[in-house]
Amino acid sequence: MKLKAWHWVHKWSSLVCTVFLLVICITGLPLVFHEEIDHWQDDGQPYAQVPEGTPKASVDGMARQARAMYPGEVIDFIFADDDEPEVYVGMAPSYDADPKFSHMVKFDGHTGEVLKDGPPESQERLSFMGIMLALHVDWFAGLPGQLFLGLMGLLFVAAIVSGMVLYGPFMKKLPFGAVREGRSRRLKWLDLHNLLGIVTLAWGLVVGVTGVINELATPLFGLWQATEVAQLLAPYKGQPPPSTPSSVQAAMDTASAALPGHTALSVNFPGSRFGTPHHYLVWLKGGSPLTAHLFTPVLIDAATGKLDTIVQPPWYLTALELSRPLHFGDYGGLPLKFLWALLDLITIVVLASGLYLWVARRKATDARIAALARAHAAPVPAMPAAPDATAAAVSGLAASKPAASSPTPAPSMPAASTPAAASLQSENS
Amino acid sequence: MNKKNHFRRVWGAPIALAALTVFGLLAALLGTGAWHWAAWAALAAPIGVCAYFWALPRQPS
Repeated sequence: MKLKAWHWVHKWSSLVCTVFLLVICITGLPLVFHEEIDHWQDDGQPYAQVPEGTPKASVDGMARQARAMYPGEVIDFIFADDDEPEVYVGMAPSYDADPKFSHMVKFDGHTGEVLKDGPPESQERLSFMGIMLALHVDWFAGLPGQLFLGLMGLLFVAAIVSGMVLYGPFMKKLPFGAVREGRSRRLKWLDLHNLLGIVTLAWGLVVGVTGVINELATPLFGLWQATEVAQLLAPYKGQPPPSTPSSVQAAMDTASAALPGHTALSVNFPGSRFGTPHHYLVWLKGGSPLTAHLFTPVLIDAATGKLDTIVQPPWYLTALELSRPLHFGDYGGLPLKFLWALLDLITIVVLASGLYLWVARRKATDARIAALARAHAAPVPAMPAAPDATAAAVSGLAASKPAASSPTPAPSMPAASTPAAASLQSENS
Repeated sequence: MNKKNHFRRVWGAPIALAALTVFGLLAALLGTGAWHWAAWAALAAPIGVCAYFWALPRQPS
């Protein structure tokens, strides 16, 4: 590909995605710290102070309490946090209800007491962090919004790659890190744009690509359900879903016992959107730093409570699972989050300076064209029309030449005084 | 200046910083304890380079 084509790719991919990417980067700043912010904004009851080694309460009791609180509703999932002693029971009016009606009841993992009866999703979405998340992920538009922002992410990746290709020839005569100050504001920001862009290239690529993969979570999960999960469900064809499902705590225990070193992190209930009609879908988390991010799905027959299958997730679910930490930056302590925020801020500077350079260049081009038009209309035809002549120099020349011979400024020069018009007049007379 | 030197002059620093970034991302993902410290240091490198050349502009000779 020719350099001109790369320039075209860089210009248009970034122009189309910049505004969306600026919103993504700005909303990403609070999202990096969402755990800390959620903690700080939490208005539920505090956890009970318990001596070290206190066993966790059974989630069966929590499920019973949640059902008693909302008798007409169904339990969608249970999430048993492994960092904090908290258990969330996700509920919905029914399994095919609009997700905006879903809500969570938070329990103390040790005592099994209710800590917070959370608001419905429709209200959660309008909280500060809910709005940040929506602007970052789907603009309140669900799957179409996710796919659209995913496409913007792809354009961002294309902008990074094309920018990298342009960097080489640009830096031919410049030392690394050169920021030419004092010549023009545009030149300084061009150098800074190139410097900040090339220095954060790897981080930008990783966060960009993993962001795109995260936006594909819904279709990727749907693909897995429609292919591998559907195959696992074949033996259950024609059977009614279990009327009285087995114990969910037992399902979690059975699943974690099946894979030594793993703990159950969450369970999708039989019939829920992300589960199957016949199983508890238990997600196990490994013990090593890497496998802590790679969850293993285990199917527990909800009629018998017996282990059905330990599922080997397909490569695209593994990619999705690895894309989460690598995009969120939440896997290396608070210092990593601060580094993430700083790199995000640098990306904002790269995006904003790119936009500024495009506007400034357009202005310069417009001014140059206007100056050339004036020069064309000026009486002295020997105008240096070199393309690299700056607009200021051209317009300065155009203004000064006629000023020497006549007091009339060039732009408002009467038509009759230009050579072409004069010759036309002489022809006519 | 020959071609190899030219490539190193233009791409040496960006490649080194990209390698440090990738190392930092993986060290934080795969390791604990000292690896996290190494990851923080590695990821601070590109930020430090940005700050250094932005705050102390280097004029081309």
